[in-house]
Amino acid sequence: MDGVLKPNNRLEQATRVLTLPSIDNLVAAGSTAYCSGGNNLYSLRAEAGSLRADLAGSFPGAITFLAADSAGRLAVGVADEGIRFASPEGSWNQVALAPDLARCAVAADFTPDGSLLVCIGSREVAAADWKRDLMQHGRSGTILSVDQAGDIVTLVEGLAFPYGIAALGDGRFVYSESWRHCLVRRAIGSPHDISDLLSDLPAYPARLARSAEGGFWLTAFAPRRQLFEMVLREDDYRREMMATIDPSEWVGPDLSGESRPDQPLQAGSVRQMGVIKPWAPSHSYGLVIKCDAEGRPLESWHSRADGTMHGITSVIEFQGIVLATSRGSGTLLNLGTSGAPVESRP
Amino acid sequence: MAFSETVTRLRYRVFSDRMVGELLSKSWIDSAIPASVLLIVVVAASLIIPDFLSMGTLGDLGRQVAEFGLLGIGLTIVLMSGGIDLSIGSMFALCVLAALVCMNVLGLPIGVALLATLATGIACGLLNGVLIGYLRLRAFITTLVTLVIYRALYDILFPRLASAIVGNTPDSPLWDAIGFGNFYGMPISFVIFVVLALSLHICLSRLRPGWRLRAVGGARRSAHNAGINVKLTVCLAYVASGVLTAIAAFLFSARLGSTGADTGIGVEISVLTAVVLGGVSLGGGRGSVGNAIIGAVLVLILTNSLIRLAMPGSVNQLILGLVLILAVLFDAKWVKNRDKVLNKLYVSPTYLLLPARAKTEPDPYALNDRLGATELIGLGEVEGPEDVILDRHDHLYTGTRHGTIERFLAPDYKSRETFATIGGHPLGLTFDRAGNLLTCVGGMGVYQVSPEGKASKVTDETNRSLLSIIDDSRLRLPDDLDIAPDGRIFFSEATIRYGMSEWATDALEGRGNGRLICHDPRTGVTRTILRGLIFPNGITICRDGQSLLFAETWACRINRYWFDGPRKGQREVFLDNLPGYPDNINRGSNGSYWIAILGMRTKTFDLAMRKPAFRRRMARQIASDEWLFPNINRGCVLHVSAEGAILDVLWDQEGANHPSITSTCEHKGYLYLGGVSNNRIGRVKLAGSDPNWTAQADYWGVS
Repeated sequence: MDGVLKPNNRLEQATRVLTLPSIDNLVAAGSTAYCSGGNNLYSLRAEAGSLRADLAGSFPGAITFLAADSAGRLAVGVADEGIRFASPEGSWNQVALAPDLARCAVAADFTPDGSLLVCIGSREVAAADWKRDLMQHGRSGTILSVDQAGDIVTLVEGLAFPYGIAALGDGRFVYSESWRHCLVRRAIGSPHDISDLLSDLPAYPARLARSAEGGFWLTAFAPRRQLFEMVLREDDYRREMMATIDPSEWVGPDLSGESRPDQPLQAGSVRQMGVIKPWAPSHSYGLVIKCDAEGRPLESWHSRADGTMHGITSVIEFQGIVLATSRGSGTLLNLGTSGAPVESRP
Repeated sequence: MAFSETVTRLRYRVFSDRMVGELLSKSWIDSAIPASVLLIVVVAASLIIPDFLSMGTLGDLGRQVAEFGLLGIGLTIVLMSGGIDLSIGSMFALCVLAALVCMNVLGLPIGVALLATLATGIACGLLNGVLIGYLRLRAFITTLVTLVIYRALYDILFPRLASAIVGNTPDSPLWDAIGFGNFYGMPISFVIFVVLALSLHICLSRLRPGWRLRAVGGARRSAHNAGINVKLTVCLAYVASGVLTAIAAFLFSARLGSTGADTGIGVEISVLTAVVLGGVSLGGGRGSVGNAIIGAVLVLILTNSLIRLAMPGSVNQLILGLVLILAVLFDAKWVKNRDKVLNKLYVSPTYLLLPARAKTEPDPYALNDRLGATELIGLGEVEGPEDVILDRHDHLYTGTRHGTIERFLAPDYKSRETFATIGGHPLGLTFDRAGNLLTCVGGMGVYQVSPEGKASKVTDETNRSLLSIIDDSRLRLPDDLDIAPDGRIFFSEATIRYGMSEWATDALEGRGNGRLICHDPRTGVTRTILRGLIFPNGITICRDGQSLLFAETWACRINRYWFDGPRKGQREVFLDNLPGYPDNINRGSNGSYWIAILGMRTKTFDLAMRKPAFRRRMARQIASDEWLFPNINRGCVLHVSAEGAILDVLWDQEGANHPSITSTCEHKGYLYLGGVSNNRIGRVKLAGSDPNWTAQADYWGVS
């Protein structure tokens, strides 16, 4: 694992801006940044060298995604309801989605013409139940294009949990497919223009964000482990596990480290002489990757098994700095100035 | 229980996969494959060739085996030393010449002729040995050169002596008997061979010269470091080869009574084929007399059969060469992959059902943080304090993985000294009536340390079970012990299949691999009293003096066993279906017991324990660090009454100080905690317990 993805501790060392349990999606809408946390939308304002979160709205269901662009457009995905577009007057225009689409709309991005590309992770489970979709080899993910008038066009179907999307501005878009551990680029309107930018990633990729330099940022919310891959092959064991055991106790990826005595453990994660090794096969991990326009990784930030900044689900560039959310620990992280030269890592 | 699960359970009870791995781990498995090939060849030859098994053929074969087999054993000794001897063919020819000249030409007595032949062999072997052993020349090139030199000598001498050899016949009945005589139907030369082979086998496999030879061939530098005279050993291997060649030549001369220009030509290749085919490794260090004989018989049957089938000689050689290449190829692959195959096959999980735990209200096992703020003793100074114990002067003792017993001095336990150095990781600790500290040492046995700190062995073996494939007489992982009022020591051996470093792999098997053993110091006898226990761990003698409690870790239960009294020999479950894996058990104040819980059950691991095939695939497909494991990053301590009622449960909620607790010790109102993979000892004040209670007083009366 030498090279760009060589593990480091940069997510652990990053400034912890604020703590907000259930913090999830970050977006920058013009001069304001927003983040979601449960049913609430927060605006983030720079104040005295730090950031302050103010409640900017509450919704009847959990917020499953946020989308925004530099023109100030903002859209919010609300579980079991649909999409709400912010109008310039400060009210919300609602676009309802069919129930199987509204449950698990996990990421979205505006195209330059103002329509919204939405990732439906799965049409079978709710967003909070993502682990079940992984364990049943979910292939019902969908990407939609929704315009402000409420017209919905299905762009791609049969995906293995698309969890992040970025519109590229040239009629193409990049999305991450979590259960296939890959990053794919497609063109709107020409179904055969497909290329795999990254494949066989060592972690389950989550949301994406464009970078000012023309590339994009990729987050990963949990590591792949030999044991998880094996359980995914072992139909008999997996079926019985799903049928008889609560998802929080399943063998599989997680957003945060084991905190309860009844959660599964792998042999290498046993605390030895008071220490959990950084290389331990943990269920959770923190990973942010900066890629160029062709998807080549340029730089990476990690939080390893002995750290806590796990379950990174979102990253943005905002006013020259890079912010990321660790959903596992409920922390907003400041990774430093964007576009900084790649520093030499130990 | 579903029908399929019943089938699984029965399948693993009746057909255990354990045996396959255990068979592969035996050292004689190296010979098993050549032996079965030999069997197949014998059956095939007897089917194809008429009269193959007749007495005449067998007698003839016996004489050939005697000569060829001795050459094979000679080469085997050289190969085991890590070298090779290509000169045996020429050496053989020279020895034949020496024997025949002595017998036929000079008419010397047979004893003198034998000595002269042996002297020829020794001289030739010694030249090889000195060049290779002392002057460090390459064995291959050296013996290739001596092959040419000895052959040249033979070619110079033979024409001058040929007519004299043919012209005379020796007058020696013994000579004729060796050549043609039978002893109870067996050729005499074959009898000589059998006697020689047996004694060489004992020497090579059971005696010091053989072990040294193996050590030198297996790892020259390590052998040197261990104090073995490598040069002498290598030199003597070539001398031994010369001696055996000389004996073979003597038998050959007695049988044929003459020699030709081509005697011994190509012998090195057929002998090499034989020994490699028999399973002797070209890499050195591996081989036996048995391997050499199997190979020799194989090659003889093969060549004889080819001759009987009227194959031309060149085709014969071609086939032999091909067989040699195949055997070398197999040898290389086998030596390289044997351990890999063994690693994949040795772990053999079995079916283990742990019933689901019903949630009760209030949950006696509810998380608390009573051990969260323990006072830490020896943080970073002790590694692996599996058990902790205090003596009459309140000093604290614990074992470490560095092989020592450390003592922390009362009253503040800030200063530490090494009480005794044992060499293995001391696990369970207990004091006897006289104040000696007894300990179970992983990989070693039960040891005793006097109050002055002098360590001595108590026992390191028990009786071997009749039907066990692996040798279970030696103690591999004695775990915890306690002493009965009459002085008998009862101790548990957690598993007989794994050593100290791999104890966790036993969790994956879930089989009853452990046992309960009793050592009686009055007679010095150690006997296994219970077998087939699922990782028996903590032991404590009950206050009735007739029974003991022992934990079966992976089965999450505690049993009571009566070793004396009216219920002697009976066993019953004391506590069942625990939420975690019990480790050491110790007495507490007010007639209670403390049970350390090593780690907690998880539903996913419980499910895996019901699916042996899943666990076996896990062991084979993924790295051991990635294996699913019980959650031993959280442990707790149970306080139970003498009847088994849960009095109290103490947790370290974060698991930062005491992630897995392997032992507890109550002493004067405090509870001391140890952990086998921890680097600290914990001490916590017990509210409401007797501040004067000590285990010594409870066991032996006055403190």
